[in-house]
Amino acid sequence: MSKFLLEAKNLRKTYTLGRVKVPVLRGASFTLAQGEWVAILGSSGSGKSTLLHLLGLLDECDADSGGVWFDGNPVADLKFSARNSYRNQSVGFVFQFYHLLPELSVLENALLPNMVNAGMGWASKRAQAQQHATELLDAFGLSHRLTHKPAELSGGERQRVAIARALANQPRVLLADEPTGNLDTKTGGEILDLIAAKHRKGLSIAMVTHDPAVAARADRVVKLVDGCVAG
Amino acid sequence: MNTRMRLQHSTISRVYPVQLANRYLTSRIIPLIAVAAVALCVALVVIVVSVMSGFLDMLRASGRTLMGDVVISYPIRGIPWYEQLIDTIEKLPEAQAATPLIDTYGLVRMPYPEGSEKEVVTANVWGIEPQSFNRVTDFSKALYWKPPITPEAAAAMLPDDPRLKLSQNILNDGLDLMKSATGEPGLVLGMHVSIANERMRDGSYRPRYQWFMPRQSVTLTLVPISAKGTIAEPRERVFPVVNEFKSGVYQIDKNRVMISLSEAQKLLRMDAGTLYDMQAPPNADGSLPVLGTSPAKVHKVLVRAKPGVTPDQLQAAVFSAYEKFAFDISQDPSKAVKAPRVESMTILTWEQHLRDLIAPVEKEREMMRILFSIVYLVCAGLVLSIFWAIVQEKTRDVGILRSVGSSRLGILWIFLQYGLVIGAIGGLFGVGLGWLVIHYINFIHETIGQDAPAWSYMASFCIALVSLAMCVRGAMTGVLLSTLLWLVLGITLAIVGAGLMLHRGTLIWDPSVYYFATIPDQVDWFTAISTWFGAVIFSVLGASIPAAKAADIHPVRALRYE
Repeated sequence: MSKFLLEAKNLRKTYTLGRVKVPVLRGASFTLAQGEWVAILGSSGSGKSTLLHLLGLLDECDADSGGVWFDGNPVADLKFSARNSYRNQSVGFVFQFYHLLPELSVLENALLPNMVNAGMGWASKRAQAQQHATELLDAFGLSHRLTHKPAELSGGERQRVAIARALANQPRVLLADEPTGNLDTKTGGEILDLIAAKHRKGLSIAMVTHDPAVAARADRVVKLVDGCVAG
Repeated sequence: MNTRMRLQHSTISRVYPVQLANRYLTSRIIPLIAVAAVALCVALVVIVVSVMSGFLDMLRASGRTLMGDVVISYPIRGIPWYEQLIDTIEKLPEAQAATPLIDTYGLVRMPYPEGSEKEVVTANVWGIEPQSFNRVTDFSKALYWKPPITPEAAAAMLPDDPRLKLSQNILNDGLDLMKSATGEPGLVLGMHVSIANERMRDGSYRPRYQWFMPRQSVTLTLVPISAKGTIAEPRERVFPVVNEFKSGVYQIDKNRVMISLSEAQKLLRMDAGTLYDMQAPPNADGSLPVLGTSPAKVHKVLVRAKPGVTPDQLQAAVFSAYEKFAFDISQDPSKAVKAPRVESMTILTWEQHLRDLIAPVEKEREMMRILFSIVYLVCAGLVLSIFWAIVQEKTRDVGILRSVGSSRLGILWIFLQYGLVIGAIGGLFGVGLGWLVIHYINFIHETIGQDAPAWSYMASFCIALVSLAMCVRGAMTGVLLSTLLWLVLGITLAIVGAGLMLHRGTLIWDPSVYYFATIPDQVDWFTAISTWFGAVIFSVLGASIPAAKAADIHPVRALRYE
């Protein structure tokens, strides 16, 4: 059994833009232990988001070489349904631009992973899922916003809803891509406080950022330069 | 649960696509446009095919009512010994009744206008035996001028309906084809033969001026035609009009008049007489030797089937009966005039008899059905283009859903369901709209057929003026969209107002072309339901391409989509 919860070894990834091949990752490796908060720091174009997408199987085209292991199991060989399940239950994503569904209310957005997971038995699971989501949103200071639509929320509130959604199925890893990148310093700090609180309760976090101050909140910083881990 | 277990035992919900599709449908205006487009397409098919089907049904129903089930024809020379033929037919277990008929053309001199120059019309003249004709064709129901039978029927009529003041005598005179007061043989006119009857909105008639036809007389001229096909001296006779009939088929009501069979036979020289031997030398007193009796003749015999007997079954039975009749006549030495052989006769069911009329309408309806089926493609195209735009707009949502574990099938199902609901709801609205238009089609037609009332175009102009004022206001505040919308509304209403003002009534359903005075107003439910299914299927097909596109979107690209 691996000592890491999430591990990537020697990942290489090249995108093709028209006739031009753009190498993004050039043999990057990454590890995340259970309960660890790792910041992936790098400038724009260094490949940090690509690394995060490969870790979360959000990029359906796997790495050109190398591999990703979750809890010691390789994830590259998973079938479509298992990949969907991995994204639904094992990891939770938080994005810079929140990415909430505008037609759904705050509570419904937070319940989305539960709804996707519930199968035909949603009716029986709904009450429990709703209680959990409400508790999360309450803890994030959004209890008065449950029926509001994303358009009616501030940037900070939207990001808190996005974190609540990412944690709805109680994943073991939170994959955050510049979660404070679109927020002012004060609000960004509040968001990091929320994440830190969850981390203290045992949540493993891989967070992409280009801000050294944000990276400083993590247990460990991995610096990515031109698709390779520096140092 | 360990990770592998969690990876393997996951069930992706089939509930969230329903909820999301529902939200997409209810929170945006684009689906409403798609629903409206599908509804209009479906309504178009339902209206057109229903009118055509109703037209065909009316044609069939009227044809059968007017002709019975089987028609035996031997035009020009006529069928001799037809009484014996009718006796033979009426003994058939398949036949309920049979009636002789003279079918010819003549001239009718109408009583109008005032003065000596009266109007003359050509007419299809039927000589009938009223009682037996009524048993075969429901003649009594077709007679228009008669008092209401029940208090309910009287209550349904407008207070100024002249039928409320009529006595039973007028119906009896029509049924007997005789003016009971004078004992004169009478004539029944088709409802639209004269110019005297004005049709009201409720379908009833009022006599124009003093021209209530059952109080008038007309002069009928018929031209006898010999067995050799030569024309003899025309004969004419004045007939009092005893009633008028309304079959519902405009062409018939416009052209046909009926007199008693005996009068028609006399005028056409087809009544019974003495048959002389033209080849033999004259008798001592100069007269020609007598060969026997020349029987009265008719052009047709109409036969009605007993309940449960199909026209085809009756046709076969009548064919055999005629063969036997012709054989019996040929073997009877007392009958110098023989019946034509069965091969010379035309024995047709009512549908075969009216084939020339029915077949083109059937073809026209099928052609309409096929042509308007293109509407399905329009439906699919509309849904496809609207959904394409929706998928473009919802690309990021697809990425979000994939990031929380939604499967490609789940994404596909959201948009397919979207199409399914749009097709189903749009189809339902379309069927409803079609039903509404069909139900009020005669009212709509009559309204279009009249000049637009002054209030309608005045209102259009007033609202157009207000719209243009709003447009100017919008221009002054610099809001381009509202300026443009008010301008379009103002111009449209001004054009509508001008159209209404210039409108002088348009006759779309010309009864002389479409046979019937009223437009069929029953929905063809088979077509309505099949069109609804078609709309659903083609909407789903239209949605399937954008849905597949949505399902194929790469999650990372979807999330980065601007």
